[in-house]
Amino acid sequence: MSDWAVISLGNRFRGDDSVGPYVLHRLRPHLEPAVPCIENGGDIASLLEVWKDRHVCMVDAVAADDLATGAILRLDGLAQEILPSLCTTSSHGINLGEALEMGRLLQALPQRLEIYGICGENFAISAGLSPAVQAAAEIVEQEILALLNTYSGGSPCTNNR
Amino acid sequence: MAKSKTIKVDYLARVEGEGALYIRYDDAGVHDVKLKIFEPPRFFEGFMRGRDFREAPDITARICGICPIAYQMSAVHAMEDALGLTLPPELHALRRLIYCGEWIESHTLHIYMLHAPDFLGYPGAVAMAKDHPQIVQDGLSIKKAGNAIVGLLGGREVHPINVRVGGFYRVPSAGELQPLREQLLHGRDMAMETVRWAVSLPFPKFERALSEQYEFVALSHSNEYPMNRGSIVSTRGLAIPVRDYDSHFREEHVEYSSALHSTLIERGAYFVGPMARYNLNYDRLSPMVRQVAGEMGFPPFCANPFHSIVVRSLEVLFAFDEAVRLIDEYRKPDVAYISAETHAGTGYGATEAPRGLLYHRYSIDDAGKITEAKIVAPTSQNQKTIEDDLRLMLPKFMHLPEKQLQAQCEQAIRNYDPCISCSTHFLKMNLQRVERTSS
Repeated sequence: MSDWAVISLGNRFRGDDSVGPYVLHRLRPHLEPAVPCIENGGDIASLLEVWKDRHVCMVDAVAADDLATGAILRLDGLAQEILPSLCTTSSHGINLGEALEMGRLLQALPQRLEIYGICGENFAISAGLSPAVQAAAEIVEQEILALLNTYSGGSPCTNNR
Repeated sequence: MAKSKTIKVDYLARVEGEGALYIRYDDAGVHDVKLKIFEPPRFFEGFMRGRDFREAPDITARICGICPIAYQMSAVHAMEDALGLTLPPELHALRRLIYCGEWIESHTLHIYMLHAPDFLGYPGAVAMAKDHPQIVQDGLSIKKAGNAIVGLLGGREVHPINVRVGGFYRVPSAGELQPLREQLLHGRDMAMETVRWAVSLPFPKFERALSEQYEFVALSHSNEYPMNRGSIVSTRGLAIPVRDYDSHFREEHVEYSSALHSTLIERGAYFVGPMARYNLNYDRLSPMVRQVAGEMGFPPFCANPFHSIVVRSLEVLFAFDEAVRLIDEYRKPDVAYISAETHAGTGYGATEAPRGLLYHRYSIDDAGKITEAKIVAPTSQNQKTIEDDLRLMLPKFMHLPEKQLQAQCEQAIRNYDPCISCSTHFLKMNLQRVERTSS
């Protein structure tokens, strides 16, 4: 399992942008130390270090006018186009798409990148998570646990049955 | 009616924050320069009111993903000032060491990923990496050493959690620092090469006339190159303790920006950041850094803002050199932190964030709740100077094709590595050329 990592992007003080850290916070007791849970609050360049050669689940907030708040986007980060993401808030201009391109150029890509984007609506400082985003976060949490259980050889999580 | 031509670029990448730049000019000169910033860090100041004073370092660290240590350091120093806490030198040394880590991280990101593409003619680091992967790789390697310092002393590399009012939650043993030392020695060698490379870049010629010289402002300490402490000094004779900051500097609302503009009362714009530190504290740099600067023919005083990439590289070299020295002289503090009885008071703190002077002021009540917070970030202090640079620079470059002119403006802004609100998105740029009117 040590070749897996869960990485969150986003700022935990900016309303729905905090959904990544929120999911990570919930996952930590279940996963660490076997699976590192890495909160990346803005240093996108460091992604190249932490994701290289790993299998990665990444959680981030996204903004999409045509999707409902709380909608979950599941992307294969190595194969699909990466939508603009609020993770650029503290990236100093290097966004996730650029980090992926840089990773390709420098042979520093993850082996697998499962991106969970959760559509938010309120990104104001000091706002809490929107209820729909919080509900989506808990679904994503369960999906990540199920995925990691599968790859660890354990049985998939059935708590929600 | 004068015809106008508007040039738009979607955004000015590689700066931090959300805002816009508007320049209106014609053949006769520049008529209007407005650096518009939509979101000031004032929200954080309001957000902190009513919170416990111990929370300030962790909350303010979230203002910026690039320089969280600077926010933590200014916050803890202000709180310690309010409580009358005096830290032993061993704890100061550790704080200086973690600050070295942040300078290395932040400056290296700027040098290699954000600013170098301008000098080498690329739109960004990704495009540059296609032709120069080794340059980017070197930058990432150097930055990694900075991350290692912050990770070890801060508890984690991003948004560190080990800094607290009165010291640290946990301090390392001397033995824990030794593996880091080896990494820093290698990083120092690479940093020296960075200086040689940076000096070789092609620099636009831009020196201000004597009457328009910058007023550089930085901290200054009797025996340290400034990071965490010192008094505030300037190249025009300002010399004040940090607690007098509000008597000499003023923040103003401007119509077009929600961020405040900071000026020196009665004198106006001033310049904070690596060049200010360097120009005011050259003699406090380590002998090795001064020697390297001398060998490169780089002078002790620098007034071309495009040379800031060289100054940053010298500061990276210094941070490595200083970090090694601090580890070599390290003695584990007897206690990880000191505490004092909570009481009402007002405290002041200023430290040297990578981008320049970062001032914090807090008032707390008898229960330790924050009743007032004031944060003046480096970018708000440099805003007017950035605008002035563009106003003065454009006439020299107006002969360039518009695309090149835009690139020149963007590069001039990036000289300051602006971190506009430390938590927002991008900067739109609107260059408007108008037909010259007879009047």
